[in-house]
Amino acid sequence: MAEKEKNIYGIMAEFDSADELVAASHSTFAEGYRKMDAYSPYPVHGLAEAIGFKKSKLPMLVLIGAIVGGVLGFSMQYYASVESYPLNIGGRPLNSWPSFLPITFELTILVAAFSAVLGMFALNGLPMPYHPVFNVPRFALASRDQFFLCIESKDPKFDRKETKKFLESLKARTVVKVDP
Amino acid sequence: MNDFESIKPQLNKIQRQTLVVGVVALVVCGFGAYTNPAQFFQSYLLGYIFWIGLALGSLALMSLHHLVGGGWGFAIQRLLEAATRTLPLLALLFLPLFFGMKELYVWARPEVVAADPILQHKSSYLNVGFFWIRSAGYFLIWFIFIFLINKWSLAQDKSEDTSFTERIQKISGPAILVYVLTMTFASIDWVMSLDPHWFSTIFGFIFVIGQVLLTLAFAVIVIGRLSNVKPLSDVLQKQHFHDLGNLMLAFVSLWVYVSLSQFLIIWSGNLPEEIPWYILRLNGGWQWLALFIVVFHFALPFMVLLSRRTKRNIQTLSKVAIAIMFMRLIELFWIIAPNFHPEGFSVHWLDIAAPIGIGGLWVSAFVRQLKSRALLPLNDPRVEAAFAIKHH
Amino acid sequence: MAEEKDKTKTESPFIEPGHTYGSITDKISSMILTRKTPLGWFIGFGIAFSLMMVLLFSITYLFMKGTGIWGLNIPVGWGFAIINFVWWIGIGHAGTLISAILLLFRQEWRTSINRFAEAMTLFAVAAAGIFPLIHMGRPWLFYWLMPYPNTMNLWPQFRSPLVWDVFAVSTYALVSLLFWYTGLVPDFGSLRDRAKNKFAQKAYGILSMGWRGSAIHWHRYETAYLLLAGLATPLVISVHTIVSFDFAMAIIPGWHATIFPPYFVAGAVYAGFAMVLTLIIPLRKVYGLQDFITIRHLRNMAKVMLATGLIVAYGYMMEAFTAWYSGSEYEQFMILNRMRGPYAPVFWALIICNVVVPQFLWFERFQSKVGALFAIAIVVNIGMWLERFIIVVTSLHRDFLPSSWGMYAGTFWDWSIYFGSIGLFFTLMFIFLRIMPAISIFEMRTLVKGSKKKIEN
Repeated sequence: MAEKEKNIYGIMAEFDSADELVAASHSTFAEGYRKMDAYSPYPVHGLAEAIGFKKSKLPMLVLIGAIVGGVLGFSMQYYASVESYPLNIGGRPLNSWPSFLPITFELTILVAAFSAVLGMFALNGLPMPYHPVFNVPRFALASRDQFFLCIESKDPKFDRKETKKFLESLKARTVVKVDP
Repeated sequence: MNDFESIKPQLNKIQRQTLVVGVVALVVCGFGAYTNPAQFFQSYLLGYIFWIGLALGSLALMSLHHLVGGGWGFAIQRLLEAATRTLPLLALLFLPLFFGMKELYVWARPEVVAADPILQHKSSYLNVGFFWIRSAGYFLIWFIFIFLINKWSLAQDKSEDTSFTERIQKISGPAILVYVLTMTFASIDWVMSLDPHWFSTIFGFIFVIGQVLLTLAFAVIVIGRLSNVKPLSDVLQKQHFHDLGNLMLAFVSLWVYVSLSQFLIIWSGNLPEEIPWYILRLNGGWQWLALFIVVFHFALPFMVLLSRRTKRNIQTLSKVAIAIMFMRLIELFWIIAPNFHPEGFSVHWLDIAAPIGIGGLWVSAFVRQLKSRALLPLNDPRVEAAFAIKHH
Repeated sequence: MAEEKDKTKTESPFIEPGHTYGSITDKISSMILTRKTPLGWFIGFGIAFSLMMVLLFSITYLFMKGTGIWGLNIPVGWGFAIINFVWWIGIGHAGTLISAILLLFRQEWRTSINRFAEAMTLFAVAAAGIFPLIHMGRPWLFYWLMPYPNTMNLWPQFRSPLVWDVFAVSTYALVSLLFWYTGLVPDFGSLRDRAKNKFAQKAYGILSMGWRGSAIHWHRYETAYLLLAGLATPLVISVHTIVSFDFAMAIIPGWHATIFPPYFVAGAVYAGFAMVLTLIIPLRKVYGLQDFITIRHLRNMAKVMLATGLIVAYGYMMEAFTAWYSGSEYEQFMILNRMRGPYAPVFWALIICNVVVPQFLWFERFQSKVGALFAIAIVVNIGMWLERFIIVVTSLHRDFLPSSWGMYAGTFWDWSIYFGSIGLFFTLMFIFLRIMPAISIFEMRTLVKGSKKKIEN
């Protein structure tokens, strides 16, 4: 229905509190907008869900990391002590599995922890050297005490005038356009 | 939705039935004692150590709850208190062991001690007289703490004056301290000295953690049955089950941590005075029991409890708890029984009858105590706040 | 409901009333960006840096001459290096405990000290890591500890607890770094947006990876942070457990005890909390952070110290009892030698420091008196060092063969490297305070939520 805008990234509204932002996000989602993002200085519960975020893949990723780390850790020790260079140490069996448990455990944790952090950054698309939202001067306050909601021009429902009017109707403190 | 009064007939029925089961099973055990006294005492000790774990674990968990607070603690406080008040019954049930000292404990047989210099060295500690003095001391100390906490808790129900709660909080720190100390030595006396040559400094600690885990599992089972009874149904939220589930997860992990530490250190050291304990328990069929314990006492509950969904559903959580309680009994069996059956794995019908007998009496006493007080502490200033947080 | 919640907390809050998101951000970021660096910082940094120079000099001399400049000899082949290693690793543990375990237990009070404690962990691990490396006769071959395919066709000895240690400590260092950095990313974003000069803007911008506070990012971020906490908790326990295995796997009397793992872990947390208190009490005064690090924080830390101290005392008691109960003459000799042998004064000093003095913490009067707490924390720091000295030295200096008996004392170079490592630790700490937010800004904002709502109501 509305014509696509190429020359702006989106339109951004600023709010004074987390509650207002969550309420505004719900209304925006209900209005039919899908391509949007909300910004806050600290994690606000229910905000991601309000803009349509479903479920994080991260726990599954970490579980896979843990299993891979554990299996690799034990196999490495088994291979080194039983296959590659069997050596009698104090009469202990070649496959001294009790002695292999500590390193298996450490590697499980190590790989799982890296999966958690690298997975989180990768899924979030970070590091990102440039992002249009920073073109809004007041956006610096998103890391202090203000709350922002940005509807992107990619959204099929996006219309410069209509969207701006809609955001203003949510009692935003300011509504400005975001340069690409 | 029922209130506590309306389910009391049901509780009375349980109380009667378990009492009948207990008495019948113990009478059957008495027959066993006549035909095979040695086996009777071994099985009786197993059952006894298992059930007293609930009363003492309750003392520990209750004190812990008073120290750290939280809604989960208030939800189970009354059933923990009821479990501690079974201590007089347990003290009574301890007495039959007096007649089995020589059957159970090698160090109580003078002819064995006379031929063993190490046992002679230990005889100033490991002798029948001192054993009973120490045991009496443990019971006295436990009784004092249990009596005081229960008394003040009841007094708080009847009074607006919050000083009783403060008193309970003050005594909780020392209660945990004393519990850990006495339980350590009780576990050495009652269980570790079954093999008087063997020693492990962590043994008491493993026992303490096992008892608290057992009690947590028991509390989850009971709270699962009572969760739709007023006033518990008004305040209980998924969050509380989640917390209890997390605590179980933590204690399952702690249990495997201390057990594995003991095993790894002794296995690596491979010293002649330590390793026989494990050689005995990892051969002759006992090793399958050990594997069974690793899988069902640790691996399976651990995996299941990792899931958030399990922890927030009290019915599934109860099933895990039942498994943990059962596995605690199996673990105790694996610790106690091989001492008497070095020839290999063996189970006697008394090993099943004795725990059921003692358990019947204990559960009956527990239900009787549970009925006698309100399900939630009244007038405790912290209760409102603990439950209020979760409402919005 | 919110009011009821507040009522229970007002007795003594975790953050003084009147703070807003803005005031927190400004106050903490001003410590780095705008406020003039206090004179105390320069003095402290100067002393620490000089000590670190002593460390560098001593290590250089050590590399020239070899470990013969230390007091090590047969039978005491493990001396200061191992004592210091265990001491530092232990101190690191409180940081992970505060940041991970208290997060899992939803203890809000951790928020204002976790960043600082995590930094302490990292720097303590860095100080600890030096010792095993310089203890090697040929430290330039340290990479032999790692498993990699090599021309000699050899692998590390995976049955040896010392190899477990390599994996445990390096995993611990890496995971602590991840945890710390992950926590810092949103705060780097705040600093980037506050910084006035171009260089700081660029530097914090790069460190923040372009963090913009998107709701979806926050969601994944919190998931990752919780998962990391869940992983770091067993990790931290395993690390000191494995450090204790370095001793317990050997069959030396006084080392080979099954209680070692939990008792070492408790001792680590005990020493770590003592160090947190030692650092944080002057810090809150110099930077005026009494609003964020309140008496209630100090009291909670005192309680944790008391609890872990009692576990340590339990360990001492069980060791002594079991030594007698075992009926083994070596075990009995070991414990009597500790109590009455040539190192008896050190042993009794350790008992006074670790068991007797901390009992004052039972009393509320001492829990909330800053000066007393500081003194007790220092005493515990010393006591935990003495404990490691006793464990390492008394078990070795009386060998199984009386002909191999000997005595051990640190030389000048032992002490200079020990004090030098303290210099390294504090130098890193001072640099951290100068360029990074010592208190997590975004987590402090979540503490305000309640108070802000109240104002709105």
